[in-house]
Amino acid sequence: MAEAPKIDPMHQFLIHKIWDGPVFQVGGVTFDMSITNSVGAMFVGAAAMILFFVLTARGQVVPNRGQAAAEGIYNIVDRVLVTPIIGHHGRPYIPYLFTLFCVIFVLNLMGVILSVGSLAGQTWTFTVTSQLAITATLAVLTFFSIFILGFIKHGPKFLTLFWVPGMGVAGGAAMVVIEMISYFVRPVTLAMRLFGNMLGGHVVLSLFGSFVVALGLAALSGGLSSLLFVPSALSFAMIVGLTGLELIVALLQAFVFTALATVYLNEVVNFGHGH
Amino acid sequence: MAMQTQDHAAPAAPGHEAGAAGAHEGSAPAAEHAEGGLPQFDFAQWPGQIAWFLIVFFGLMLFVRFFAAPKVGGTIEAREGKISGDIADARRMKEEADAEAAAAQAEAAQARAAAQKVAAEARAKAQAEIAARLADEESKLAAAGAEAEARIAKARESAMANVSGIASDTAQAIVAKLTGKAPTAAELASAKG
Repeated sequence: MAEAPKIDPMHQFLIHKIWDGPVFQVGGVTFDMSITNSVGAMFVGAAAMILFFVLTARGQVVPNRGQAAAEGIYNIVDRVLVTPIIGHHGRPYIPYLFTLFCVIFVLNLMGVILSVGSLAGQTWTFTVTSQLAITATLAVLTFFSIFILGFIKHGPKFLTLFWVPGMGVAGGAAMVVIEMISYFVRPVTLAMRLFGNMLGGHVVLSLFGSFVVALGLAALSGGLSSLLFVPSALSFAMIVGLTGLELIVALLQAFVFTALATVYLNEVVNFGHGH
Repeated sequence: MAMQTQDHAAPAAPGHEAGAAGAHEGSAPAAEHAEGGLPQFDFAQWPGQIAWFLIVFFGLMLFVRFFAAPKVGGTIEAREGKISGDIADARRMKEEADAEAAAAQAEAAQARAAAQKVAAEARAKAQAEIAARLADEESKLAAAGAEAEARIAKARESAMANVSGIASDTAQAIVAKLTGKAPTAAELASAKG
């Protein structure tokens, strides 16, 4: 009888090399440019995204399903976020926000849809957005792009963002500290929210998967332990339900990240109008 | 999970053994987990992963900036432009049709008024003609009547004159019968008195 594998929900987040790449050092930081399972998943996600938009780019007045799907995704960014939140001045930033949304969405989705697990001695499923390195990169890139854009557009005047009027000098100074903390914690929350959501969902899925196998194998030993098929089946049902939930989370987290980026961008684009 | 452990037990991928990542591959994960922490906090993996991610992300951004966004957004805008253009066209055409209908109606009303005027004129003319002819005939009749009356009066006068002749003739005959001798004209005239 087969031995139940060790329950190790963190294994799915391990990075391993597929092909060796160049390794070089820049300023004491070692860049290992090998193609890992994480990088491979990025490539697959990017290819899927490019393929999707190339195939659906028909430009017809009456769209078919694919084109309607692509336009629906575009309208999430344009009509749901940018136009209502920022207005027409937000139009130049749509490509960035659209990329942000699509990249997060496709990488989230890959962890759920392409759950092929391990085949041919290789773990194929990899959720790139469950890597803190990636979510932090996205958060820092987005946050500081917007912060720097503020200085480009408004100069040093942009620092008055932290000044709350009507508090007096002492109160205002205290508020500057609080405002600055709440402002600069944004990239941290952006990164942790996406990371935590993807990590948690996949850990739970993996745990229930382990239960299915472990309990099922125990049930195979016969006798009274055959009853363990019941919790094994229940665990499987949980996986089915949770997979549906993860699909929603995949879309929702992409939306939340993009929505917050839009809100932060709005402060810069409409600086001095809405305060 | 069974397959994943297989992955652990036998590092099948060619890069597995060669890479520095071997430290947390194969036999290592238990030890690594014991070190405490998620695989995500293995900071040795960060630079390469981030560098690759930035490359992929900016590549996709160029793709979106120069292909996907203009294509999809352009299509949406073109559609909205077409719809509003079509609606504007339809509205313009409807306005034109309305104007034409109004013009046609005005024309019809004008024609009707003209026809009514012509008819009224014709009627007035006809009535005037009738009245004139009636008056003419009446005057003619009146003239004929007057002539006839004059003729009757003359006839009566002549008849009256004849009556006195007849009377004297009759008286002469009566007298002649009674007396046997015809009276003279002077006697008759004096007797008639």
